[in-house]
Amino acid sequence: MSGKNWFKAVTAFLLVLFLSSPSMAQTIRIAVASPFTGALAAYGDNVRAGVTLKVEEINAQGGINGQQIQVEWMDEQCEPREAATVSSRIAQNRNIVGVVGHLCSSAHLAALPTYLRQGVPVISPTATSVAISDQSKDRNGNTWAFRVVYRDDYQGEFLARYVNEVLELQNIAVFYENNDYGIGLKDAFVNKARELGLNIVGQEAYIKGASDFNPQLTRLRGSNPDGLFISGYYPEGALIAGQADNLGMKVAKFGADGFDNADYISLAGSSAENTYLTVPFLPDVAEGEAEAFLQNFRERFDREVDWMSANAYDAAGILLQAIAEAGADRAKIREYLASMNSPEKGYHGIAGLTYFNEKGDSLKPAFVKKVQDGQFVAAPIQLD
Amino acid sequence: MLEQQLINGLTLGMIYALIAVGYTMVYGVIQLINFAHGEIFMLAAFLAVTFITVFGLPLYVVIVLTMACCALIGVLLDIFAYRPLRQSPRLAALITAIGMSIFLQNLAMIIWGSRPRPFVQDALPSFLRTTAFSIGNANVSWMQLSIFVLASTLMLVLFFIINKTRVGTAMRALSQNRTGAALMGINVNRVISFTFALGSSMGAVAGIMVAIYYNTLYPTMGYVAGVKAFAAAVLGGIGSVPGAMIGGIVLGIAEALGAGYISSLYRDGIAYAVMIAVIIFRPSGILGKSTVEKV
Repeated sequence: MSGKNWFKAVTAFLLVLFLSSPSMAQTIRIAVASPFTGALAAYGDNVRAGVTLKVEEINAQGGINGQQIQVEWMDEQCEPREAATVSSRIAQNRNIVGVVGHLCSSAHLAALPTYLRQGVPVISPTATSVAISDQSKDRNGNTWAFRVVYRDDYQGEFLARYVNEVLELQNIAVFYENNDYGIGLKDAFVNKARELGLNIVGQEAYIKGASDFNPQLTRLRGSNPDGLFISGYYPEGALIAGQADNLGMKVAKFGADGFDNADYISLAGSSAENTYLTVPFLPDVAEGEAEAFLQNFRERFDREVDWMSANAYDAAGILLQAIAEAGADRAKIREYLASMNSPEKGYHGIAGLTYFNEKGDSLKPAFVKKVQDGQFVAAPIQLD
Repeated sequence: MLEQQLINGLTLGMIYALIAVGYTMVYGVIQLINFAHGEIFMLAAFLAVTFITVFGLPLYVVIVLTMACCALIGVLLDIFAYRPLRQSPRLAALITAIGMSIFLQNLAMIIWGSRPRPFVQDALPSFLRTTAFSIGNANVSWMQLSIFVLASTLMLVLFFIINKTRVGTAMRALSQNRTGAALMGINVNRVISFTFALGSSMGAVAGIMVAIYYNTLYPTMGYVAGVKAFAAAVLGGIGSVPGAMIGGIVLGIAEALGAGYISSLYRDGIAYAVMIAVIIFRPSGILGKSTVEKV
């Protein structure tokens, strides 16, 4: 490099510093890490909607201490590999004080080591894997990772109780997707169901993207189940429900939050009727400011709200409250979040009260939806 | 339960067979594994749904129209992607085929979006989902029956075209010796185009039937179906049309029985294990002729 080029490089560097420093004083930056492209982009879009609504509200009220909030959207496509890259980019950008994300448990798990090592507070609106609980602390025992959603094992056990007490089913056939989510959920369900005296008549696994489930269903049909638990996501779930119907299986179908998508009903058609599913947020039974939120959401995005948007709205709300109370500093935000450890110190969001245990998990209730006349409605009986 | 599994497997096998004949015919004529064939199967499903929703055509018209469109797509694929590479090493054409597969998948994603969507239920006769007849404990639905009948008819037609018509004779001549066939006055490019058109229209019917049978279509659906059909073609002896049919049915039944009796997680594994076993013990496939490869 000649002397002239050196001069140019240094000038450019100083120029960047000069241009970026004033904006640091004017805005507070947070990152949202989710899939915004790729197969799960639709989910990422839900999270984006929730955070957008919250940030717009705060900014419209003048921001935090006169500073506007600016969001950096970080696309990780729900890929652990991408999530690892995105998390280091976030950690290195000292202007970013906290993260809402990640959406998928697998991506969240891949990103966590970076956040813990570099000290970045992170709140996931949607990651339900049990494994996250044991990876939320750094070496000094400080919790950096929090989440505003229940865990898979809670959800699985809740479903078993619901099936036993409300639906009063006896013989359950289980169909699960062979990944962290499907297996974790299934194991929790099966253990609790056995404990409650339910009869698990068969367990079958499938791989994501499979489309023919007739052989497995035929085998399950032989044991005369009255309930079919599908532990996975809605695209395969819809196929399973439809094929079970075609084989003449008269069973109640039930699943978890992976089913919560209107596409489930359009894909499964009439076979979707009488499907029950657990969700972390239910507009019909939401409390407090929820009505205003639902109204705003509809006006701003021209669609009905989903649980991911509701949780993202709350996750952003908690992070921004921490910034407002403790200041725009990563370590102080972490301390504030960790101190939200009892119902009294909790955050009252639209998805209910959120507070964290020492592993960063929140204790949130689950709600039950069912499919009736081609629509999701709140199940008539909810469990505590 | 065994009867039901056999029926499940036969339905699946019929579909594999219909896709596999496309692979095997193209291979027979120009020694190319057309990996984009699975994407034609996928495009057929989306085109059919589009024709129904946009133009409101009845199902049988849609099937014929989609077959014609896919035949055209197959021909265009050959003209633009493979014909310029006719004299190049085989590897170049193979890589182009994989490239076309990825291209068509993403094109479909841009046009129709990446979310899975259902087939148009209003376009289907309502009896399709009901049971046609029962054998013991096993039910055969009208849908399954339609797949058997339609697939068998198409294969008979295919058989007739290949063995009894002039263009079929030309195809067979080409597969034996391209230069010799050209010297005898056969228009080689025209016959290759016809082969692509024929294989693609068979794949198109399979695509529509799969979309109706499972009531779901998505841009990546061609990949797995394509790989399975390719396995079926290899199983039957690549290049042999009756072999592809038998290979498809054997693979479908092996999969259903494997998933039903051994473990559903191994279903793909079992399918491939059958294929590998055949290749080890009978390298040319079930009906393939054993020839010495001239490398």
